[in-house]
Order: sequence, then C-alpha cells, then structure tokens
Amino acid sequence: MARWGMVIDLSRCYGCRACMMACKVENNTPGAHFWMYVFRLEEGEYPDTQVRFLPRPCMHCDNAPCVKVCPVGARYKRADGIVSTDWARCIGCRYCEVACPYGVNYFNWKSPKKNQYLDWDSPAAEALEPVTKGAVPPYQNPALGGQMKDGRKTAGGGQLKGVIEKCTFCVHRVEKGLQPACVANCPAFALHFGDLDDPASQLSRLLAANKSFRLEEAFNTRPRVYYLGAPPPSTEARQIQAVKARE
Amino acid sequence: MATRADTRLPYGVGQAGARFFLLVAGLLVLVGLGAYAYTRQFVEGEAVTGLRDIGTMGGAPWGLYVAFVIYFVGVSFAGITVAALIRILNLEHLRPVSRMAEVLTVLALVLGAMSVIVDLGQPGRGIVNLLLYARPQSPFFGTFSLVISGYLVASMVYLYLESRKDAALCAREPGRLQWFHRLWAAGYKDTREQRERHLRASWWLSLFIIPLLVTAHSTLGFVFGLQISAFGWYGAFQPPEFLILAGVSGIGLLIVIAAAARQTLHLQEQIPKRVFTWLANFLWVLLVVYGYLMIVEVLTAIYQPHQNEEALIRTLVFGNYAWMYWLSVGLLIVPLVVLLVQSVMRRYSLPIIVASGVFVNVAAIIKRYLIVVPSQTHGRLLPYGPGAYSPTWVEYLIVLGIAAFGALAYVVFFKVFPITEVKESDGSQSLWKTSE
Repeated sequence: MARWGMVIDLSRCYGCRACMMACKVENNTPGAHFWMYVFRLEEGEYPDTQVRFLPRPCMHCDNAPCVKVCPVGARYKRADGIVSTDWARCIGCRYCEVACPYGVNYFNWKSPKKNQYLDWDSPAAEALEPVTKGAVPPYQNPALGGQMKDGRKTAGGGQLKGVIEKCTFCVHRVEKGLQPACVANCPAFALHFGDLDDPASQLSRLLAANKSFRLEEAFNTRPRVYYLGAPPPSTEARQIQAVKARE
Repeated sequence: MATRADTRLPYGVGQAGARFFLLVAGLLVLVGLGAYAYTRQFVEGEAVTGLRDIGTMGGAPWGLYVAFVIYFVGVSFAGITVAALIRILNLEHLRPVSRMAEVLTVLALVLGAMSVIVDLGQPGRGIVNLLLYARPQSPFFGTFSLVISGYLVASMVYLYLESRKDAALCAREPGRLQWFHRLWAAGYKDTREQRERHLRASWWLSLFIIPLLVTAHSTLGFVFGLQISAFGWYGAFQPPEFLILAGVSGIGLLIVIAAAARQTLHLQEQIPKRVFTWLANFLWVLLVVYGYLMIVEVLTAIYQPHQNEEALIRTLVFGNYAWMYWLSVGLLIVPLVVLLVQSVMRRYSLPIIVASGVFVNVAAIIKRYLIVVPSQTHGRLLPYGPGAYSPTWVEYLIVLGIAAFGALAYVVFFKVFPITEVKESDGSQSLWKTSE
C-alpha cells in the first residue's frame, strides 16, 4: 500500500500563496481558515536581511499528537499515512488543536455556510444562478460530501458548525489517483506529492539526492512532510505579511 | 416550599423566609442570564466567544470554560478528603462540616461536567460519542470516566450512605417534606445491624475513593502535562500541582461555605471554631506543598529555558499576564503567611480564616486561567507571532450562570435536608424542639 507524503522544495517556493488559494477553492474552507499556509519570513538585521518562504500544510505525522489525544477517535491515522478528521464523529473539544505543534487545525466557530466568502444563502449567491447554470451554491465542490474509501466522512472543509477541520492531503483527490490541489496548482513545482515507501517514486528520489529536514523533528512527531533546498528557518525568523484574518 | 408546617425540622430545613427567596430569585436571574448566553452560543456557534484558533488566527481555542472545568473539579477535592479524614484518621471533630463538604463535592463535579459540555462544539455528540467511541489513550478519557463518572457516583453513594440516618430522623416528622426524607431513608431504622453495615460500607468506600481522588485530579493535570510541544504545560509536575491546588481551593471554599452556614443558620454550637482552625492549618500545609512544587517548577523552567519557554515566562512575569500572575502569587502568599502566623501564635481569628478561603479561591481561578491560556497564545513553535484571547460577555455569563446554578442547588438542598449531622444524643424529638 502506498504511504503518502509530501516534499516541499524551498529553493523553488517564491511565496506566491497560489497553493493557499487552490486549497480554499478545492476544499471549500471557510473564511480565515488556511489548511495550507505559506509563511513569509524575514531573518537577520538590516541591512543583512533575507526573506524566505515556508509552506505549511498539515504534517500528517506518523506519531501524531493530535491522534493520540482525540477522545473519540475522530482524528485518526489512515493505513495510507493520511491523518484524517471524521467530521461526522468529532465532538468539538479542540484537544487536537492544542496538542498540535504546528497550528494546522481550524475549528468551525460559526456555521461554515455563513462563513464562506460568499454567503451561500444570500440573494447575491442566488443571483449567480443563471451564470452557474443553476448550481447554487456556486463553487461548492460536489466531491466533498460522502464517505471516503475507509467508510468515513473526512473530505473537505466547511462541513459543520462546531467541529475541527484541517488539511486532508486532499484525500478525495488522492483516492482517485489525483494530486492534492496545492501540489497540482503550484506554478513553481515546489510541492511534490507521492509514495514515500516506493523507492522509485519521485519523492524518494528527491529525498535520496538532497539534504532534507522536517519541522520540529525534536518532538518525535515524525512528520510525512519533508523540506529541502534550504536550511530550516532560524529561530530568529519573524513573520511578515501575516494573514491576520479572524473568523 | 413549606413555610409553616415543617418548622420543627432542624437547621432551617423547610423554613424559608424573605431573605431566602430573595437569594433564590437573584441566583435564578443569574442562571437565566447564563442560559440565555448559552442559547446564543448554541445557535451562533462559539464565534460569540473570544476563543479562536491557534496559528494564523492568533487565538486560544481553550479559555475560560476549560479554566473553570479545572476550577470546579478542583473544589470537589474538599468533600471526599474531609470524609476520608474523618473515617480513616478518626478526625471526629470535622464531622459537623462533612455533609457540607460532600454536597460541595457532588455539585462541583456536576458544574465541572456542565463546563465541559458548554465548551464542546457539538455538545450532543459529546455525550453520545464518548460512550460509543471512547479512547483510553486520550487524557480526556480519564477526565470523563474517572472524574465525571466514577468520582461523582462514588461521592453520591457516600453522601447517600452518610445521610440516611438523618433522613430517617427527619422522616419521623410529619410535614410536606416527609415523603422526601422517607424516600431518602429507604427503610433505614438505625438498628445496630444497619449502623454497623453502614459504617463498614462507608469506611471501605472512603478508602477506595482516596486513590480515585488522586487519580482523578491528576488526570486533569495530564490533559496539559502530556503535551510535549506546549511550553508551560509539559511536565511531570502538572498532575501533583493540580491535585494540591485542588486541595487549596476546595478546603478554602469549604471554610467559606461553613462560615456562611454557621452565621446564617446560627450553628455556632454545632460547628465549633475548632473545625475552622483545623481546616486553616490543613490549608496552610497544602499551601506550603503547593509553593514548594511551584518553586521547583519555576526554577527548572528558568535555569536554561528553551527559547519559546523563555518567551512564555517573560509574558507571564513581565508581559500581558503579569498583573494576573503576581496577583495570584500574592493571593496565595498572604494567606499562607497569615495562617502560619496564626498557627504559631495559637490565636485564631475566624474572619481572617474566611478571608484566606476567599483569597485562595480567587488565586486558584486566576491560576487555572494562567495554566490554560498563555501557553496557547505565547510560546508556540512556528513563527506565527503572539496571539491574544479575552473572554466575551457570553463566556462570563455562562460561567457565572453555571456557578449560580451550583449555589442555587446548594442552598435549596439544605432547605430540604439538614446541613450537618443531627445530634442523636439529645434524642431526635427533643432536638427538634430546642431548635425551634
């Protein structure tokens, strides 16, 4: 069985945040939720400063703190390595969120429908009906509703008020043999997705040929997202142009 | 509620004056406001609270509710501890406050459970899914199963066993509450055989509740102490600190409640000052232990801290949270010193003991808040920058409503049941008459 993972080539990333946008469109995540987030970081003191970029999806850790603490098994590790959230089971305690070292979890603080960039119940959305040939709400991805192959409801965002959601590695696409939306839409080919267990995969070849690191490895979370092409951001790195949206 | 017929029951049971109704009305208003706030939250979602996501939103997903879960479960410490001290160490002079303490335990645990429920995004699922899919690997499992089920049930059984005799005594008195006391007594006649069986059962129960109590309070500490990447939370000291601070707040609150009951119900004879001096001494001993744990923890943290740990400590001691931090430290040190001096001088002042009880409870609430919140807003690993959290009126009203519900249940319960053990030596009938 494939064991999915991601490799992010920092030497290619120029911080355009197209992956963030692709993720939002694909997964219908509500406002202020960024399952994929690209840090724009500044290091050093003037005039010796440097700007760097660091995309941050969910790390899909093999030793995931969020999976351990979930009281009902709504957050779980799939056999193919994806850390999934069963939004049909989640009780909304947010323990996974405080346990995660990477800050990748987003809670639906209010009804996601109301929190979309366009209120799907508003007249403005209905007015779009002729344009979208009757598809209301517009831009709602029909692939996100049902069960995944393991029989659980884990795909997509904006599902329900009061549950936790996060990056799914686009499980609904991966199960169909497609790449996650962020990977498919990266204009610089900085993101790579594939089977870490297959020595012939592009991922394995990239990792064999380059020095790589994973975020906060000291905590033994064993992330499945690898970075290469640049050293880890220094502890002095400051975030610039942060997305400040609050729900 | 009966006002005339039951005046012969002891300790104000069945008697309700204007003052009582005023108190009940006031508490009902607070409960109503809390319920209204909760309906807002239920309909709108927790967007009406000040809680937000860690990371890009720069918030704290756990806040006031979780702080009060810990606080409420903490004060439940008092009941079973006092009961166990009486049973196992034969501290008979604590007997007058044992029932107050037991009811405090039961109600505090109920309030803790309510605080958990209001914190959940899917409260209905919280109840069902925890039964269906519970995972013992999660520290929450211990919180739900041990604290809120095991500990609560054990405390209720203990309370029931301990009070059956008084129920039987009260049931002799005709009146509107007779059915209730009869139901509670459930055939108890205080025969020698029954008395011995009760004694044996409650002795063993109190023995078994002690490990349950230690485990339950520690489990709450584990909820935080096991999170390796959360600076300020991770550490082996979290469970014992939770246990000891639970003791501090529980004993403190018991002192306050016992003093209030003594004053309003004129129980100066039934609750002698000796009870308070003993509790005060117990309180400063607990404070010393807590202080020791705190000092060791702080020294360990500041000697060679991780960068994020250092940032967190700076925020606590000098930054946004400094006023709360130093206030809580002061509110713990002042009672410690005052109670210690009292103990050394062997001169005890009841007002000072009660004030200490209030102080340590305010300190405990602040401490719980400082345990929960700063680790989420500051000292996170990735360079998100510091976050912020301040509770909204919804959160304040809900917490206030829950506390008012507890107070309401407490005062109403002791209008239908004697607040302290009915002294049998006088013979029940004559006692009813003297207390008239």
